[in-house]
This record gives sequence, C-alpha cells and structure tokens, in this order.
Amino acid sequence: MKFGGLGIQTFIRIASVLIILGVAVELVSLRWVHPLAFVLFAFVAVSLIGLGILIYLASLVLAVSTTGDNLGPNAKTGNQAVPR
Amino acid sequence: MGSTGILVALIVVTIVLTTVLLVRPAITAGTTGKILAFVALCVLPALCIEAGMSTHMQRSEQTQFCVSCHSMTTHGQSLYVDDPTYLAAQHFQNHRVSPDMACYACHTDYTIYGPFKDKLQGVKRIYIQYLSTPPANIHISGGYSNLQCLHCHAGARNFEENPVHQPMMDSLTTNQVSCISSGCHDTVHNASAVGQLKMWRPGQ
Repeated sequence: MKFGGLGIQTFIRIASVLIILGVAVELVSLRWVHPLAFVLFAFVAVSLIGLGILIYLASLVLAVSTTGDNLGPNAKTGNQAVPR
Repeated sequence: MGSTGILVALIVVTIVLTTVLLVRPAITAGTTGKILAFVALCVLPALCIEAGMSTHMQRSEQTQFCVSCHSMTTHGQSLYVDDPTYLAAQHFQNHRVSPDMACYACHTDYTIYGPFKDKLQGVKRIYIQYLSTPPANIHISGGYSNLQCLHCHAGARNFEENPVHQPMMDSLTTNQVSCISSGCHDTVHNASAVGQLKMWRPGQ
C-alpha cells in the first residue's frame, strides 16, 4: 500500500492536526447557542475528529505491516526479529 | 462545574496531549508513548464527540435555541401575547410547559427516536433557511399530531371530564379530529399578527 511508505510518525502528526482542529471547532461551537453551532459540530468537528481517529487507527495497522515487510528473509526461517 | 465545563476541560486536555504528540511523535516508540497516543488520539477524541453530541442535543431543546433562527423570531414573540386564547402563549406563560424548553415540549413526538428525527427535520430547516427560501407562513409538515398534546393531557381530570372532549374522546386519541382544528384550540401562535397584539411583559 502506498500509505505504508509513510512512517507512523507522519500518520500521528496528521491525526494530531486533524484532532486538534476538530476539538477547536467543537470548542467554538460550544460558545454559541444556535442551530448553525450544531451543524458546525455535527458536520465539521465530528468529521475532523473522526478522520483523525481513523488515521491513527490506520497507522497502527500499517505500522505492523510495515514492520512485517522489513523482517527480511529471517521471517520465513522462523528466526524472526522481535518488532519494536 | 456543569457538563459544558467538564466537556471544555476534556477538550483542553485533548488539545494539550495531542499537541505533545504533534511536536514529539517519536515518544510513541516507547510503551508509555503508545498508551499516551491511544488515549490522546482515540479515547479522548471519542469522548469529546460523545459529550459534544450530548451537550448539543440538550441545547437544541432550549427555547433560546429554537427562536435564534430569524424565521422563528415571531413564533418566539408569540409566546408573550397577552391573550388567554393563544394556546402557545398560555402554556408558556403559565408554566404548563417548562419555559426553557417550551418549543421542544410541544413539538417533539416523544418516541424513542423522536429527538433524532427532530434533528433531521432541523437540518432540513437549516438548509431551507440558509440555502433556499423560507416560506412566508411556516407550517408543520404532516400537521400537528394530537399525541403531542395527549402526552401531558391524557388522563388529566380537566381534560377527561370536559363535556366538550368527552363525546369525541376516541376521535381525539386516534388523531381523527385535531385539537387545533377550527372552533377548538385554533389560535396557536398566529405569528404573522404578533406585531399588532398586546404583549405580556414579565414583572410589569
């Protein structure tokens, strides 16, 4: 997978930025009692936070597969390096 | 500290922890860093969404929320009409419904998915308000259901023993005759005439 080329740290940075933006939008929406505040929360904040969580979870899966790819020939012989 | 205060504190903690990960993502190499990342990037944001949704749902039940839309301004003013025949005004002014939740009390359908359906309707109305043209006279699609009245009035002595209600009780409970039909409780908001009516000013 193309994304596998990206390091886990890049994924964590992207997820962090999205989550910070999302919760900041949520904070703004809480200052305002208006139907648009609900729309701002439900459509913008939840999307940003949700995407951030998904990217973080994806990073866990991709990081494992990347580690597996890097095990090299020893992986097939049973002398596996313990992934850190 | 109220629920909003707790939510704000949760958001601040999330921002602080996530900023740490943004600045130093390398700390996730260790076990503590991994736990921190899971909490900051998964647990806390999920809690922020859940608590935010709950707070916004509670806020959307407030009268202040409903009348903040331009189209609803006259409906909000109609709650202060100084005339006992105005149904909404009498319920609001005499605290037959909670004044803070006056709109919600009479306009939700009290089913398990009622608040969710109300929210979907609300999003549709926001679309009409901002991206389309709101109608001059606002009507409830599908009409007003008696079940919303009966949620409180069913079983009440002054409702059940009322000589006008008694002969038509079956028609009322099955929604065949509307409570707000002509000749009955037919003056509800009359929002278009609010400008010409005497208004009640609390405390005066």
